[in-house]
Order: sequence, then C-alpha cells, then structure tokens
Amino acid sequence: MNQEELNNKLSEIKDKLIAVEQPADSRIYLTCEAENSYAVNKFLFEDVPLRFVIATGIDSDDCFEILYHYAYDETGCMVTLKAFIRDRENPAIESIAPFMPAAEWIEREIHDILGIEFKNHPDMRRLILADDWPEGIYPLRKDAKKPVKRPDGEVCSRPIVQSQSPARRTVELSKPVVAVGPFHPLQEEMEFFQLTVDGEIVTDIDMRISYNHRGIEKISESLQFDQVPFLVSRICGICSASHPLAYVQAVEDIAGVQPPERALYVRTIINELERIHSHVLWVGLAGHFIGYDTVFMWAWKYREPVLDLLEEITGNRNNYGNVKVGGCREDIPDELTPKILKELDKIEKKMEMLTKAVLDDPILHARLKGVGILTREAAVDYAVTGPTARGSDVGIDVRRDDPYAAYGALDWNVITQTEGDVFAKAVVRLLETFESIKIVRQALKNLPDGPVTTEVKEIPPGEAVGHAEAPRGETFHYVRSDGGNRPVRHKVRAPSYVNVPSFRASCIGQHIADVTITLAAVDPCYSCTERLAVVDQHKNVIHDYDTLLRLSREKTARIKKEMGAPELKMEDL
Amino acid sequence: MSWKIWSLKKSPWVFHVNAGACNNCDIEIVNLLTPKFDVERLGIKLVGSPRHADALLVTGVGTRQAVPRLKEVYRQTAKPCVVFLVGACSCGTGIFHEGYHVEGPVDKIIREEDPNAIIAYVPGCPPKPEAMISGIVKALSAL
Repeated sequence: MNQEELNNKLSEIKDKLIAVEQPADSRIYLTCEAENSYAVNKFLFEDVPLRFVIATGIDSDDCFEILYHYAYDETGCMVTLKAFIRDRENPAIESIAPFMPAAEWIEREIHDILGIEFKNHPDMRRLILADDWPEGIYPLRKDAKKPVKRPDGEVCSRPIVQSQSPARRTVELSKPVVAVGPFHPLQEEMEFFQLTVDGEIVTDIDMRISYNHRGIEKISESLQFDQVPFLVSRICGICSASHPLAYVQAVEDIAGVQPPERALYVRTIINELERIHSHVLWVGLAGHFIGYDTVFMWAWKYREPVLDLLEEITGNRNNYGNVKVGGCREDIPDELTPKILKELDKIEKKMEMLTKAVLDDPILHARLKGVGILTREAAVDYAVTGPTARGSDVGIDVRRDDPYAAYGALDWNVITQTEGDVFAKAVVRLLETFESIKIVRQALKNLPDGPVTTEVKEIPPGEAVGHAEAPRGETFHYVRSDGGNRPVRHKVRAPSYVNVPSFRASCIGQHIADVTITLAAVDPCYSCTERLAVVDQHKNVIHDYDTLLRLSREKTARIKKEMGAPELKMEDL
Repeated sequence: MSWKIWSLKKSPWVFHVNAGACNNCDIEIVNLLTPKFDVERLGIKLVGSPRHADALLVTGVGTRQAVPRLKEVYRQTAKPCVVFLVGACSCGTGIFHEGYHVEGPVDKIIREEDPNAIIAYVPGCPPKPEAMISGIVKALSAL
C-alpha cells in the first residue's frame, strides 16, 4: 500500500472524524470526539493496519486530549489520532487495550498522571507512580503541586501488585511465586518481576515499574527548547544520542528548520557508534547470564575503543550533548577521520572473531535456540520495535522506513531473522554491528564540507512527532509548542516501554533457568535482583538470585556434557 | 584507628544500588570490572548482597519509589559502611532536581537513616571510571 492508498483507506472512516490534516506527506493528524475514539482506533489498528506507537495525554485549557500515535512502516508515515474529552470533572474514555495489548501500559500511565478513566480496561493498577503517592494528585495536570508525604500507615487504595481482574494473570497466593527485583547484583535499573511457577515452568509473569520514574516529561516543560536535549540524553545513558536526536527532529519539524548537510552526517556517525557499543554491551551481558564470562569480558574489552572514539569526538564517553535544534554543537575534525577509520578496522576484526565464537558454538545453539520465542503475531500485537521485532521477522527500522539524518543516502541492510528466539535476537545484534561499521565508514567518506549548525530564531506554535532508531528500537518524541520558549507538552516513549511487556508472550512456558536470558534478550534497560527469591511448590525451598544464575549456568554445563563438547578454553575462541 | 576501620580499608567489597539513575553511571561501574580497568586487581569486588558489602555505590536521584528500598539496603549493610554517591544525580539530584517523583538528594536520605553515615561523593555525569577508582582510594585514605 503506498501513501495514496493509505490516504484513501483513511478516508473510509471520515464520518467519525472532526478533521483531517496532513502538514506533510508522511505526517497525518486526525481529530475526533472521545465517543468515537474506540471505533477509529479499532479501524486504524485492525483494518488499515497501523503499528501502535504510544498515546499521549494532554491537559489543554478546556479539555483533555488523548493522542494515539500510529506508524505505517511501509511508507514511514506517522498517523496521530486526537480524541477530545470535554468533561473535565470526570474525564473518561473507552479503553483500547482489550483489542491491543500494546496500549495497556500507556493507559495505566495516563490514568496515573492525568486521572483519566479508561472504561473496560482489563487491569487498571498503578503503573509509574510510587506506592506512597497520594490518590487524587495527578502530576501532569497543569495545576498540580508536588505532593507532600502521605501519613504513615495509609495504603494505596488501588492494589499495586495484585491484579484487579481475577481472570487475568493474577498472582494467586496459593501458587509459588518468584519475585525478581527490585535490585540486581550486576547493574542498572530497578524493576520488579513476579513469576508464577509450577515446578520448573513459568506459568505467569507480572511486572512493577516506577522505581526509576523521575518525571522527565514534566521537568521538560520547565526547560527551554535548547536545554531539553541535555535532559533527554539522560533518560537512558546508553541511548544518549538517539533520544535527543528524536526530540530535535520533532522541534525542527515545528520550526521548519533544515540542518546543514554536514550536521546530518555527524549525527549519523555518533548514533551508529552508539549502536555498536550498545550491541556489544548486550552480547557481553548475555554471555554472563548463561555462564560464559569470557564472552562478557571480551565483549566489554572491545567496547572500550568505541567509547574512546566517542570521547574524542564529543568530549564524553556517554551523554554526548552534541545534538541541538538546527544542527550539532561540535564538528568532527577532519584530522580525526583517519584515526576513526583505523580504529573501526580493529573493532571490525575483533567483532568478526567474537561473532564467529558466538554463532559457531554448538553449545550456544543448543542453549539459546528455541528459548524465549516471541512469535511474529505476538511481536505485532505488542508492537515491539528494534532488534526484538527484527528477530521475530518484523522487518521494521526507522532508519530505512522514515529516513532521517544521512541514512537515506547510505548503503546498508536491515537485518532480520525469522525464529524469534534468543539466538535470533543475538544474531540480529551481532550482524547489525557490522552494518553500523559500514555506515560510519561511508558517512566519514562522504562527509560534506560546511558548517554543522544553522541559526534558529524562534519556535512557532505547533506540534510534531520525531522518531529515531535507538539500539533497542524506535524512540519516539512528541513535542507541542505554544510559541513560547518552552514546550507545553513533551511526550517520550523509549523502546523498552513496548519491548518489556512482551515478556508475557516470551517467558510463559519457559524453564526458570531460561528466564534470566529471556528477560535479557530484549535488552531492556535491564534489572533483576539479589533479593530474588524462588519458592518451589514441590520442594518448598527458597532460592536466591545466585541460585537462579547457577541454574542457568548448570543448564549450559549439562548441555555441554550431553553434546560431548570439550571444556571451552580461551584459546578456542 | 579502630580495627573495624582498619579492616574496612582492605579489599573493600562493594554493592551497587541504583536509586533511579539513567544507567550511565551503572554501566560505568560495571565497566570497572572489565579488563580495561579491572578493579579486582585492587581488591575491590562487586558483591551480590548488601550484607557482604563494605561500601555501597549509590547512583541515581532517589525516586519516591526507590527511597524506602534504598534505606532498607543501607540497613542491611554491616557497619561501618562507606556510602559512595556516584554521579551528579546522587550527589545532588542534578538535572532532575525539579522532578515531582524525586525525593533525593541521596545523602539526605542516608543521613535520615543514620546521622553518622560515612558518605563520599564522586561527581560527574557520568564520572569516568578513573574518577571512581580515584574517589574510592581518596575516601578510604581519609578514613
């Protein structure tokens, strides 16, 4: 279906809409009343069909708006449906989660931060606000104040961990439960997983987030357009180039600014270097979780030269702060090019060795193939992005579908695999690092002359969406301006937000020993814990995190033995 | 110098706590263990339980949801325990200062739990691994 056919298809639903705007070929805005939003969303998701990206709740002066963002990947078109909720006293709208699991989290989130009720939502528990957050205070409403501490002893009136609906993945206390979280001995963020198990088999999974919620969208409203990139690069330290890029593209769209050619190439180079170090990081961690610490140490060793290059280009190993509205802050000096190319050669050689070691290893095949399968259908339903989607034969990549920076002018491939298991995701990531190296080489070769920045006078009123392909998938930013010097609403969706809920499709039915690697396979901004306790129904023993890691490693060892493989030595790699 | 402090300074085992950070400091902490920096050669070891730890490496702003858990982790450590605040966020909440879900800075939270806590600051966004190693050495030499 090309763009024209898409427009024709969308006109079928015209009678339910108030307005249709198309400021650019690949940006469509539809408007409707809250009563019609269910029907229109169902049409967009099931009949067109579009990929659900995220929803944004906005507190406008006289009403609430819910914006449903969709993407049509064949033409890179972004479709936004605006639904107006006129009743400010008791705002409510029909939930779309019953037919679209991808919308479950965001509806819970909008309920938390704006107090909008979603009718017929299957599971309206608290999502991103803390357990001790007072009821009735909605931080993203314009009149919200920072709440004081709640009196001791008062509990949240909505249950936090237990689901409201008994039909849906409730954690029954009679069943054994594995609590994973919120701390993990290795690293990174807090998250809390609850696995219900029957013997060795995981029968259900539930999650609690909020530990890392810092309220960035609200802070962004208090910063100037030019300050926001510094904030959004600190959403995630490993995606600290792609978040500001997506934001800046949205603002440039509002202002109608076209950054200079050279700036686009500099952005491409920094983003691809980031992808290389992030993918290598993942390979290392994955190795650690299945008991291959050699892979962990080697992968992280080969990641260091990439960080050194980034430090040389931008001045910092992470949090580059290089992108700004209208271009880049720092140029890549021409005399650095030979050095970068030389380092890339070295990195490529090491990556070839690492890839060969990982992909040719029969034990890794036995250990990772068929584990944690995310089927193509589930990947579409959960609207996952990035390597998680590409490993499940959903060939989407923002860099190709809606080209930004210099990607449209360069020659590279989108890597997909059909199996959907952990191995497929590993293959996707490993092969993508070679594509990234290829992109950086070409970008350096074709680096045009000229300035890297253009002057931006002011940001007019308007709204726009921007998205970019982060190492983990599509990061999406929506920005609305009222003509002042700060955004009035800035919505962020990081790729893990849609990838993490897909655990429900990939973990259930797995062995406990496979859970750590399955959870790690989507490369979430990852966590689990040392306080993780497994209660086994039959044996009535309590395991801790170390036991779980040991189980995972023992399984590797067992497979090794069954296959008659020799002990793996460093020289063999 | 009491024998407790004397023994604390030898081979400090550290436990890493993320109290609402962006991953950056956390990744750099893991980086400390990998071949380029390899802090295990200095006897510094990342352990899996706060009960085994001589020091906590705290990153992040201290979000409302994380604060009770952070206090619990601090309670579980054997005292004396050095608390290292790694990164701009944990040193003073940094760019997230105005956030509605932020309860930090972390030093205030730790002092609520234990007014005599030993706290060391490693600023930076993120601090380089070299800065973290230097921070640990300086803090332990000052004890």
